[in-house]
Amino acid sequence: MSDHAAAHEAPTSTGIDHKKLIMWLFLASDCMFFGTLISTHLLYRKLFPAGFTDAEGHQRFIQELFSIELTSFSTFILLMSSFLMALAVSAMHKGQLKSFRRNVLGVIVFGLIFLGCQVYEFTHFYHKGLTIQNSVLGSTFYVLTGTHGTHVAIGVLWLILLYFYSFTGKLGGHMGALDVEVAGLYWHFVDIVWIIIFTAVYLVEYLGPYGIWGSGLPAVLK
Amino acid sequence: MSSSHEAAPSQAFLAEEVRRYHHFIVLALWLAVVTGAEIVLIYLPLPTAVIFTVLTLMSAGKFFAVILWFMHLIYDKRLLFWCFLAGLVLAFATYAAVLALFSADRIDTRWFS
Amino acid sequence: MSHDSHHAPVACKTELAPERSDLGLYRPDRATGWTDWLTTVDHKKIGIMYGAFAMLYFLIGGVEALAIRTQLARPDNDFITARMYNQLFTMHGTTMIFLGVMPLSAAFFNFLVPLQVGARDVAFPRLNAFSLWTFVFGAFVLNASWLFEFGHLAGWFDSFAWHKALVYTDFAPANGWFSYAPLSGTFGANGQALRFTGVGTDFWIIGIQILGIASLAASFNFICTIINMRAKGMTMMRLPVFTWMTLVTSVLIILAFPAITVALIELMFDRAFGANFFNPSAGGQPVLWQHLFWIFGHPEVYILVLPAMGIVSEVLPTFTGKSLFGYPIIVFSGAVIGFLGFAVWSHHMFTTGLGPVPTAAFSLLTMAIAVPTGVKIFNWLGTIWGGRIRFTPPMVLALGFIWMFMCGGFSGVMHSSAPADSQQQDSYFVIAHFHYVLLGGVLLGLMAGLYFWFPKIFGRMPNAPVAYLGSALVILGFNLAFGPMHYLGLAGQPRRTHTYHAGNGWETWNLVATIGAYVLGIGVVIVFGNLVWTAFRGKKCGNDPWDGRTLEWSLPSPVPEYNFAQAPVVATRDAFFEHKHGAKRIGAENDGGEAGVHMPSQSWMPMLASAGFLFIGFGMPMMAMGIPHAGWLVIAGLGVLFLGVWLWALEGPGGYMLKTPAPAGAPAPAETVAR
Repeated sequence: MSDHAAAHEAPTSTGIDHKKLIMWLFLASDCMFFGTLISTHLLYRKLFPAGFTDAEGHQRFIQELFSIELTSFSTFILLMSSFLMALAVSAMHKGQLKSFRRNVLGVIVFGLIFLGCQVYEFTHFYHKGLTIQNSVLGSTFYVLTGTHGTHVAIGVLWLILLYFYSFTGKLGGHMGALDVEVAGLYWHFVDIVWIIIFTAVYLVEYLGPYGIWGSGLPAVLK
Repeated sequence: MSSSHEAAPSQAFLAEEVRRYHHFIVLALWLAVVTGAEIVLIYLPLPTAVIFTVLTLMSAGKFFAVILWFMHLIYDKRLLFWCFLAGLVLAFATYAAVLALFSADRIDTRWFS
Repeated sequence: MSHDSHHAPVACKTELAPERSDLGLYRPDRATGWTDWLTTVDHKKIGIMYGAFAMLYFLIGGVEALAIRTQLARPDNDFITARMYNQLFTMHGTTMIFLGVMPLSAAFFNFLVPLQVGARDVAFPRLNAFSLWTFVFGAFVLNASWLFEFGHLAGWFDSFAWHKALVYTDFAPANGWFSYAPLSGTFGANGQALRFTGVGTDFWIIGIQILGIASLAASFNFICTIINMRAKGMTMMRLPVFTWMTLVTSVLIILAFPAITVALIELMFDRAFGANFFNPSAGGQPVLWQHLFWIFGHPEVYILVLPAMGIVSEVLPTFTGKSLFGYPIIVFSGAVIGFLGFAVWSHHMFTTGLGPVPTAAFSLLTMAIAVPTGVKIFNWLGTIWGGRIRFTPPMVLALGFIWMFMCGGFSGVMHSSAPADSQQQDSYFVIAHFHYVLLGGVLLGLMAGLYFWFPKIFGRMPNAPVAYLGSALVILGFNLAFGPMHYLGLAGQPRRTHTYHAGNGWETWNLVATIGAYVLGIGVVIVFGNLVWTAFRGKKCGNDPWDGRTLEWSLPSPVPEYNFAQAPVVATRDAFFEHKHGAKRIGAENDGGEAGVHMPSQSWMPMLASAGFLFIGFGMPMMAMGIPHAGWLVIAGLGVLFLGVWLWALEGPGGYMLKTPAPAGAPAPAETVAR
């Protein structure tokens, strides 16, 4: 199949493969997508830095919920999955199918660990009283991180399908490497979105007495 | 990058891939180090503005490192970089404006937690 | 691999040997008739289908408009209820924008872009089919709300438990085309998710979401096609202006639609799962919906108008016999309009109280956007100046475009001034303004395009006297209908109000507007009727009846499925005009040779994947209605979508070789035209 496809891959005007170009265009578009989601969250953090009220009517702060250990661990896992993905793409360029499989399997496992961490985090937060329904904070937090998690899940599914496809013998040559590279671009993008979320949603909440949003507005925190 | 399908990759191509392989490893180490530094930084007794600025720079550094090396932008055609940057800059500018347009002192926050 | 055998070239695809895809299924390559149209990946057929659906929805939206105008013809009228009125103006706006103008523009993108850049198809032919069918199903979901509404009014659902439990029974969207929160959203603390409106809003949310996916997929495809599939010598600054405007429009779509996608997701979470994004009872900011909507909504205005500007930039040079005046400036202005279009969204929100600095900034930026628009108009005038003008139907409509669009632009500049805008907000003055831009501008431009390219699409010439009559009625009726609304708005008549009392001095002009609307309606029916008749029965015309300037006119009419027998090599802007009358010929690159040219295989999979959206589109509102087990419909839809995409990936690109008739060498000399 790959030979056949490669034979008819007409040279493009810019020398960039169609698939690579369309993926970068999609990622540019996805910047606006995650920009909207992240800014919605930050906007409401700015307006209501004081956190939320749980079911018992207690005032709770988001800092009480966060576990820097868990978040750092899942961040590290996602960064390393990105590294393995880069190696998988590199292996495909060299035509080393076995090395590709080993690396991509690592990416899949790391992706699943990340998703597991997120499931744990969500249930943990839920039991501590933050729900999607009881506050704006819950809505923006769960929808933002949940949408990112959905992106990760789609990426994992994609890579699983590519992994099994590689056993059919049809994944190879320039087009096969391109297919893997495009999946890789998607995966790395999911990773860089998390780099932003890690800083903008988690780390800044540890600055000052009640996070970056609270420290500027002490009156509201009372 | 090879533009056509070759049965056996050329020596120069392989050498290039090996060079990139080393870049990837070094970058992965740096990403881990910077992430560790970020976590330490938030507990340091420094002015909030300083920590915030450094965190922003570190985050941006990681972001661009991944798109440039892991996502091959530094090896690929320049056009791809501009395509992506258009979306990135537009998103950043638009939502910086949106965030600036809302402010807590212009809404009544007393009724909400 | 397995199916290299079918690369034995054939002269006609129906002669192909039966061919299996990588999945072992037969590709519908040899299909004819319905199967051919449903599985086609040919950009020309997809374009024709886009156009046909768009014209159908134009008529539906037009009927909705006439019902609105009939209601407003005299004071204290009760032709339709207030509830029906709200549904009609909401669906009129939504239909005209998302199901009328955008798909008709997409029809031109599809048909023309590959021809104008000298390519055989778009970059991703199956993705193109996916865009079409996603649009078709999204449009169906949106309009299915009418079926539920009529079923409700007829009492079909009265005996069902879920129907008895409904608090609000409006089944068609009734929030206006922008669905402002909190009206479209929820209120009440702790996830009560009490709603202000019925499931019509849910139909609107999921319908727009699906249509957005269609637009995004198409736009990625067109950007790739334009950047990556240009013929040899077709540099960016040799691209026809229509293709340039397609590129700018597509960039606007991919950067603007994510904002509405996220806003719709947030609104959906509010309504379906009790989230608080726009819920004022929990601190949600309804005005955030306005921001997100207009971050999409303002670029959307340019998404609607730039293709029409591109069409006019093709029509004017053809019928003046001159090259476009200031081509680089026109292209640059188009790009600047697109860029500035992202920086002016808050001018729709002056009355929300942004504060003095943002108001001043957005006011100034809005005024600035008039500059590139004015530059374009002066360039069009420069093109006409001193030309040998032929008043053909497309030329008449294009000239009408410039004039009417300018009128709309003038009232637009009035809105850009925040103090004036706060007087005009929500009055008929605004209705007059955007109908001059969208109808007097965009619709006239698109009609000019239809008359201009119909001979290329079908090889038949529309009847000119009927075309003149239709165009005259459209322009006359349009001015009669919307001219008086300037006055009505300044005299205080509010928008979105289903009736008005006598004695405000609005009676006469409302009646005039209604008469104008009917004249306009008759004009549109004549124009569309003429075109449909032409497609089947029109007089055959040559390949180049207008003395065209760009590559598509060098091809036979109708265009063969492979477009170019040999890939063209372009040496200049307006390549075909130069080829005929100048020194520089269009070269040919014998890219296929004896093997013929490579054609993409047809496929069922894009349509299968799109069908998933049909299930999701019905499932979400039915969940909101409280119909039991409707959630499974959504899950089934996701399953079908995944299955479609998966099989699509597995079946492989396929493809077959087609022998083209022309021998190697330059294209046949053009037929000469009496000029």
